[in-house]
Amino acid sequence: MNIKRRLLITAMALGVFGATTGFAASAATIAIITPSHDNPFFKAEADGAAAKAKELGYDTMVLVHDDDANKQSELFDTVIAAGVAAIILDNAGADASVAAVQKAKDAGIPSFLIDREITATGVAVSQIVSNNYQGAQLGAEEFVKLMGEAGEYAELVGKESDTNAGIRSQGYADVISQYPDLKSVARQTANWSQTEAFTVMESMLQANPGIKGVISGNDTMAMGAWAALEAAGRTDVIVVGFDGSNDVRDSIMAGGIKATVLQPAYQQAQLAVEQADKYIKTGSTGLDEKQLMDCVLINGDNAAKLETFALSE
Amino acid sequence: MISKTILPRGTILTLCAVAVFSLSGCKLVKNVPEDEKAVSAGASGDEVRTEQRIADTFETRLLPYVRDRALSYQAFRAALAQGLDEAGQSHGNRGSGQGAAWNFAITDSGRIVSAKLDTRARVAELDIDGDGSADVTVQLGPVIRGNALRDIAPFYNFDDFRDQIEFAKLGRALNDQVSAMVQLPEGDLVGRRMAFTGVTPLKKADEAVLVTPISVDVLP
Repeated sequence: MNIKRRLLITAMALGVFGATTGFAASAATIAIITPSHDNPFFKAEADGAAAKAKELGYDTMVLVHDDDANKQSELFDTVIAAGVAAIILDNAGADASVAAVQKAKDAGIPSFLIDREITATGVAVSQIVSNNYQGAQLGAEEFVKLMGEAGEYAELVGKESDTNAGIRSQGYADVISQYPDLKSVARQTANWSQTEAFTVMESMLQANPGIKGVISGNDTMAMGAWAALEAAGRTDVIVVGFDGSNDVRDSIMAGGIKATVLQPAYQQAQLAVEQADKYIKTGSTGLDEKQLMDCVLINGDNAAKLETFALSE
Repeated sequence: MISKTILPRGTILTLCAVAVFSLSGCKLVKNVPEDEKAVSAGASGDEVRTEQRIADTFETRLLPYVRDRALSYQAFRAALAQGLDEAGQSHGNRGSGQGAAWNFAITDSGRIVSAKLDTRARVAELDIDGDGSADVTVQLGPVIRGNALRDIAPFYNFDDFRDQIEFAKLGRALNDQVSAMVQLPEGDLVGRRMAFTGVTPLKKADEAVLVTPISVDVLP
């Protein structure tokens, strides 16, 4: 499996090499490295970055690290060897990624981070990070309102190795803990997974038939929970997710899941490429390294305006 | 409620050393015994740092800053008529990052046209211009939403914080400060006058005005 993937990546890299060397005098290349595109969120990031890079006249090299820091390190070797002009990265671990980004910096290649922070500053040029805490507060405030400030609820937590799982959970707790009539009866990880969330929700429901609401660390788990609730005939349960996926949008519009929180992934990736372009041309972005980007609450009022992690005006 | 990262002693000491050397100028060190003098740069040091920030800035810098910049509702509306960005640049401050709201300080009084008090996040709606309809909504706690008090202050910079969690903790601590200051009289508020000074965040010029107060007075 791993070897196959590695070969694929090498092949991809070679393909891109071929293309760039074939047009030796043509445009510079921007590398776009994200987690697997199986999750539409990361695909939206890659698409947004690639579209903006193309618009600004760059070639692109789109790669995935599958949340594997070793693989990410190899990809960095590949793009450094390819002599890319800049790297757009949604990283594979806040601590583990520092070395990879430093390696690129040492080779004179600037990195622009999106979505997740790394634990060092002065290594990447930009870190444009979704304000997951603010987003979680928004989601929790809506959840509290929908719950009428009272009742039993459960929380589905994301993958523990992902910083954002903890940040969102803390943001939820920050708001919900201010309402003493809301009672947490279950809190469990479903590792961002829809199928795992289905199973976890089934058992939570069996153990706690009085559950009135479920707050989920992301949309795929919210979808899994909702499927389990539907199967159990418990569509009265309030479900709130996080990410702003098209699946949850459709569920909201059909009266299923009640709300989610949009991380503007597409726009964020585009912004990173704009900053890379400015840096390549002028040697500076003119901005702070760490930049927060606000999340937006999505509910029945604005769900129709949501498409592929972007909200139209 | 909030889990604390437990670091090995060696790491803590290193972090402490880093904190002391790299953050010179910040008042991070509380009056504690010699061998525990430095505060962990990690999440376990957040509480102490947040308390210290509140002690250093809330009374002495933030409250005067809001009072000094506060516009009357009419002046606020007039400024907004020039466009949100223009109004923000002359009278407000923007929160950290893309898509963040402009924050404006307002001071005025109005008649309470409705009040929602059977909730942890109490609010009153005020008619200021006398047309009978609500112009602003004032948050009355105990739960105060948003980060308006943090984001109006140019002296709270995201770059000075370890991460978004530590930054958020300051926002919450500021809200808790004002929540404790809000005193409401018994009984129905509708029909009475309320004077307030506070901050509203706006992402659009025509957005509803939700005020996080630094003072509210229900007038007799």
